[in-house]
Amino acid sequence: MALRLLTDKDRKKNIDDNNLNLIAQLSSISKKFKSSKTVSLKNINLEIYQGDFISILGPSGCGKTSILKIMCGLLRPSSGKINWPTSNFQNSPENPANLSFVFQEPNLLPWINVYENIKLPLKVLGENNYKADEKIYDIINLVGLKGFESYYPRQLSGGMSMRVSIARALVTQPKVLLMDEPFSALDETRRYGIAQEILKIKKEKKLTVIYVTHSIYESVFLSNRIYVMQANPGKIFEEFDFSNQVKPKDYRFTSQFIEQTKIVSDSLERSQLVK
Amino acid sequence: MIPLKDPNLLSKRIHSTLSAIIIFAIWESSFHIFDMKWYLLPPPSMIFDSMINNAYLLFTSLATTLRIAITALILSVFISFSLAIIFYLSRFIERSIMPITVTLQVTPIIAIAPLISIWVNSSELATLVCAFLVAFFPLLANTMSGLKSTEKNHLELVQLYGANKYQILRYVVVPSALPFFLSGLKVSSGLALIGAVVGEFVIGPISGHSGLAYRIIESGYQLDIPKMFASVFLISISGILLFNFIKLISFLVLRKWHSSFQQID
Repeated sequence: MALRLLTDKDRKKNIDDNNLNLIAQLSSISKKFKSSKTVSLKNINLEIYQGDFISILGPSGCGKTSILKIMCGLLRPSSGKINWPTSNFQNSPENPANLSFVFQEPNLLPWINVYENIKLPLKVLGENNYKADEKIYDIINLVGLKGFESYYPRQLSGGMSMRVSIARALVTQPKVLLMDEPFSALDETRRYGIAQEILKIKKEKKLTVIYVTHSIYESVFLSNRIYVMQANPGKIFEEFDFSNQVKPKDYRFTSQFIEQTKIVSDSLERSQLVK
Repeated sequence: MIPLKDPNLLSKRIHSTLSAIIIFAIWESSFHIFDMKWYLLPPPSMIFDSMINNAYLLFTSLATTLRIAITALILSVFISFSLAIIFYLSRFIERSIMPITVTLQVTPIIAIAPLISIWVNSSELATLVCAFLVAFFPLLANTMSGLKSTEKNHLELVQLYGANKYQILRYVVVPSALPFFLSGLKVSSGLALIGAVVGEFVIGPISGHSGLAYRIIESGYQLDIPKMFASVFLISISGILLFNFIKLISFLVLRKWHSSFQQID
């Protein structure tokens, strides 16, 4: 089967047919840091639909992480705005964490154990203990951390720490999960293992994921839409939509996977040539 | 799983005890071999005898000195910690008050002590103020650099969930400052004792029951050198005990997570 990318028209039809909800719309977001002379993000337009697994791919320093941080409110854009049409995606006690962030490093607090680390977002949001306990044990089982509740972060391996970090992001039952190169510290096999778990959890929890990476393979393996970015200034170079592709078993070893990888990889190369 | 206790602890203890015994043995034997003058350098046995003979006097004095040092230490813990938090929350207050504390710190306590003894009526209270002034600054400085060295990622983690200032302090900033605070406490514990002794030297005997500093001055007048040594010994031993007590506290607080207690296999 020849690979066919979706045109804008196809995409619109797909959205209408499947009755997809627009979750977030970034319109002409720009960001310039006070400390630097260059513009780090220029005119970013993104539409995120329910159930999307979006990868943002690009060289270091193209502002991938900034997009995520702007989305979750850790950074303020210099201009442009984000719309959340279906919900007020602000994390607050009244509207607990629709949005979670998985950092590049596990970013666990070293002075509390695994259980307390996972509980931290709930504590900040002010959930009562009884309800919190149930949620925490659910998540601990889901990511396979049972029996490690009382371990301290320094006693865990890199892969385990990442699981705790993912569990902590999921404990608030978010609708959107932002991930910033979460597996960069893991070896190949672990990466694949956790990537598959993420897909499983995404399906189970009906998550929408926005995933920043510089691994072409990961982005093709995981996502249905890929944005390739260019640097200086950081902007979107090309967009790929593989939503119409059915991913077969052992997808990684099919010609379809390789074909898609090539397309994305070519685009990434071209993006580095433009000025 | 990494073990959480130090397997070499016993051998470390044996080493330090052994070296102390050897030093004392050399000291004692050279006194007899070289026929040294007891009024210049009394042997350990004579110092020990003097300590036993003057036990009541010396130990009640030690109690006074320790009471002042420990009260000063506790006061500096509370005051420096609260000040550090206030400074952390308000750059304005930090900029206006920090120079005062630095001035107090860099001015030798011996220079300020006479003033304090004029202002404060009770000699015990005046000595306490001296000890406090000496002990307080390292704690403040350490706690402040601890509060400021919070990892940005950790801050972002709680900000993500809309944490307020109190929550940020409680869940992230204060715990990450704890190791800094405890190492400041180690320094301050020694300084509090120094402050208590220096203060009494300058201000004069503490009414009620004078402290060890006054015992040293007194033995100097009486040319009772063994007693003078006995007093000095008591001060150093209590300093060592105080230091180790703080070390034990920081071990208990930090052993589970802090890298300074990490085992290398």
